[in-house]
Amino acid sequence: MRISILSPTLANQIAAGEVIERPASVVKELVENAIDAKSTHITVIVEEAGLNKIEVRDNGEGIPSAEVARAFERHATSKIHSDEDLFRIRSLGFRGEALPSIASVSHMTIETAVEGSNGKKMVLIGGEVVEDISSSSRKGTRVVVENIFFNTPARLKYLKTLQTELAHITDIVNRLALAHPTISFHLIHDGNHLIKTPGNGETRQAIAGIYGVDAGKKMRTIQNTNLNFSVAGFVSLPELTRASKRYITLIVNGRYINNFLLRNAVVKGYGSKLMVGRYPVAVVKIDMDPLLLDVNVHPTKQEIRISDEKELARLVEEAVSKAISPTRRIPNALENITSGQSQHNKNTYHQENIRFIENNELTDQNKLNYFKENRKDELDTTVDESKASILVNKNNEEDHQKQDTSLSEQGELTKRSEKIHDNENTLAIVDRLMENKAKKTDGEKPFPRLDYIGQMHGTYLIAQNEEGLFFIDQHAAQERIKYEYYRSTIAEEGTVLQELLTPIVLDYPVNDALVIKEYKVTLEEAGIFLEDFGQNSFLMRAHPSWFKHGQEEDTVKEMIDFLLEKQELSLAKFKEATAIMMSCKRSIKANHYLSDLEARALLEELKQTKNPYNCPHGRPVIVHFSTIDMEKMFKRIQDPH
Amino acid sequence: MKFTIKRTVFLKSLADVQLAISSKTTIPILTGIKLEANDEGLKLVGSDGDISIETTISSTDEAAELVIESTGAIVLQPARFFSDIVKKLPDDTFTLEVLDRFQTAITSSSSAFTINGLDANNYPRLPEIDSQEAFKLPVRLFKQVIKQTVIAVSSHESRPILTGVNLTINENQLKAVATDSHRLSQRIIPLETDQGKQYNIVIPGKSLQELSRILDDQLDDFEMFITDNQVLFKTTNTFFYSRLLEGNYPDTSRLIPENSATQITLDATTFLGAVTRASLLSHEGKNNVVKLTVKDNSVEISGNSPEVGKVQEQVAFNSIKGEPLELSFNPDYMKDALNTFGPAEITLHLISPLRPFVLVPSEDNREFIQLITPIRTA
Repeated sequence: MRISILSPTLANQIAAGEVIERPASVVKELVENAIDAKSTHITVIVEEAGLNKIEVRDNGEGIPSAEVARAFERHATSKIHSDEDLFRIRSLGFRGEALPSIASVSHMTIETAVEGSNGKKMVLIGGEVVEDISSSSRKGTRVVVENIFFNTPARLKYLKTLQTELAHITDIVNRLALAHPTISFHLIHDGNHLIKTPGNGETRQAIAGIYGVDAGKKMRTIQNTNLNFSVAGFVSLPELTRASKRYITLIVNGRYINNFLLRNAVVKGYGSKLMVGRYPVAVVKIDMDPLLLDVNVHPTKQEIRISDEKELARLVEEAVSKAISPTRRIPNALENITSGQSQHNKNTYHQENIRFIENNELTDQNKLNYFKENRKDELDTTVDESKASILVNKNNEEDHQKQDTSLSEQGELTKRSEKIHDNENTLAIVDRLMENKAKKTDGEKPFPRLDYIGQMHGTYLIAQNEEGLFFIDQHAAQERIKYEYYRSTIAEEGTVLQELLTPIVLDYPVNDALVIKEYKVTLEEAGIFLEDFGQNSFLMRAHPSWFKHGQEEDTVKEMIDFLLEKQELSLAKFKEATAIMMSCKRSIKANHYLSDLEARALLEELKQTKNPYNCPHGRPVIVHFSTIDMEKMFKRIQDPH
Repeated sequence: MKFTIKRTVFLKSLADVQLAISSKTTIPILTGIKLEANDEGLKLVGSDGDISIETTISSTDEAAELVIESTGAIVLQPARFFSDIVKKLPDDTFTLEVLDRFQTAITSSSSAFTINGLDANNYPRLPEIDSQEAFKLPVRLFKQVIKQTVIAVSSHESRPILTGVNLTINENQLKAVATDSHRLSQRIIPLETDQGKQYNIVIPGKSLQELSRILDDQLDDFEMFITDNQVLFKTTNTFFYSRLLEGNYPDTSRLIPENSATQITLDATTFLGAVTRASLLSHEGKNNVVKLTVKDNSVEISGNSPEVGKVQEQVAFNSIKGEPLELSFNPDYMKDALNTFGPAEITLHLISPLRPFVLVPSEDNREFIQLITPIRTA
């Protein structure tokens, strides 16, 4: 067999297979080059989701005209020079693969100029230079990629619909914009402006530019550092969530990355405040010494290796939880109503109703309830106690209220202003207000004092205070109360062991067995005592007594599987699931009448819980109509249109 | 507090009181049972806020073998747990003593429990009813009234007033009405005494159901006291309190049609059988609908659920008067209504396919009526 060296074009096409998967990859590589060239404005113009044309314009340093040709040679880069540089990478690119790879599968035009000298224009088809002339001397670079994959038909066929490809492009531009708030990004598709970020260094405004102004307002800053890492960024309030983790953007040293552990750390930071299956919007920027980082894992560089990843995950989790816990999380009722209005099925069958002739007499308001009256004294004392505690915080609260109102006024303003430019000021004000707020409240804002008004449809409790009207879901409220109770009692359960007549034998492959041996102590703490039984088998002679009868083997296997996968024990998770189930079963349901006394007792108990805002499944317990909302509803204040 | 009592007697009273105790409540102490020993005897109290039951075992009751050594009160919770303990005690009698810090010792023969109790002073006080105006009601007849009306009570809190049975007392008759706006049940019974006063109250359906369970058929009658927001049913040893629903009950008097176009008399049990069979099919289908076709000399029940299949049945009848008619109804409402008649001949009064129809006993003097609204098809 003859062995020959591949031609550079072929080698580039092979490399392109890895680097250039789809039009979005081209956008990513070109925009990253533009960022590395210290641009402050980057414009991306795509046609037909990039299949027809991708153009990236920047105002960066440019390439000296004499060196343009060299950029199309493989492993030509301006970004690193020596092997030491490889371990201190600050730039986004460094492999010297992108440009030649893209050029090898498309028609490419590059126009570039450095400051103060003549520019150069070069046209390449399939990587071969077909035109090479000097051009104008506008500083920066403009790269146009047309007819992508013209010479790799298989790849062209593999592409998805235009929408999908465009979604990928928007996604990558979003991430890069979030990672580089100092750069103004502009994405135009078939003449439509899709993304525009201000590029003034404010990440919150970049978020507003991408996810909308409302989302921007619902972001909280996070901040945490230790010796190796510094974590900063924005996470959404628990009320602003998405159905996928994709809205968590992780940026390490300016590079957008994917990392399972760190994404999970962000989610974990919310504790039980997120609904099941809902994830926050977040932008988390991590800075670290490049030495702790290996980006040279995959050509697209979205996978990276971080030394001491777990430590970093802990840091992220802590930062998120610090930012989220001090906020009072009663969602606004109006915003909580989703736009999807339920459509009632039209049925041809219609159950006739009895048409009542309503009585005209008024209900006698003076009818006094003996049952109520007798207990009134008891109630008053409890109210007095809570009043006392409220008084202490009163000054604080008043301050907050002022801020709250000014905040919502700002909100109104921002809603009306369409242009991002206008938002800059307001968002900056919002930012400042948030900071003030954070400084003033040390701990969590207390759960508000509520005066019970009544019950609706045997399901919702209605209460008021000076801030407005509150609706409470009675089932969710009691679920939360019971959940916290059961969680603490279940946690107290000792590791009492049930002996087994015939031991359970557990077989595992060698590598798993090694892990299990390593975590033997952890398992024993959870009440699982394993004896070595031959090479890869273990014997369990007794199990914790809380295991369900008949499910002993499954339960222990499940726990060990969890240990193998996550390297931590699921005991807490198991107990949490049990607590959630018990709390749901033992709580009053909807469509259940509550007397005044019962309803007040429920609200009082709810106040005592650690997290009165969500049921254990994450659904809201309480929603709020502010006094302003009410006034607007009745047109007491006019919308200033 | 310390007393000794015969277990079987105690358990009987305990079971009665437990009817009022719910494991689901927002006031934890209400999951418990209150025991109070006083000079008269031993009082047991249970409540869920809506219903409260108080029963006394008298010191003079010989069967109870009650010996009170010291008086006092305690709340033991949850009630279910306490009753399980008493049920399983080894001896015929047991002794209960409250120790320090509400610790309660229960001893029977060689077995001894010490359980944690709660301060009885924290237990909500029961309503005070000082009304002197009592109605005497016959137990068995009133239980029948409950059975006949409570089926039509609404189970949805969206219109709370309809979750109760409306009692109107006028001169010497008592009228009970319940409706969930799809059907209506009405029963009128005579009263022995004329109080010269009129009452119009709404008692939660659930309270009446529990009352019906606690009323002993052996008794002849019991008393009812009404206040503005509470009603008390009183037998010799037991007090049953229920809250009343607030608000005005809709006026139902004009809903019951005076005339009808078609009258069918048939046997309630036979008709119930036919409707039950047809409902087997309708329950599987998308729409729970059964059709009644009345011709000159036939009565037919039929159901058609395209997804499942068809059913058809000729119903035996005693007589048909009036015009042929076709109407559809929800078989569950019909089943509930027919069940309240027992084995009797009834008359169906039909007006038109879209007007409510009524069922009455053929021996009727309009004391008992079940009204059902039809289903409009197509």
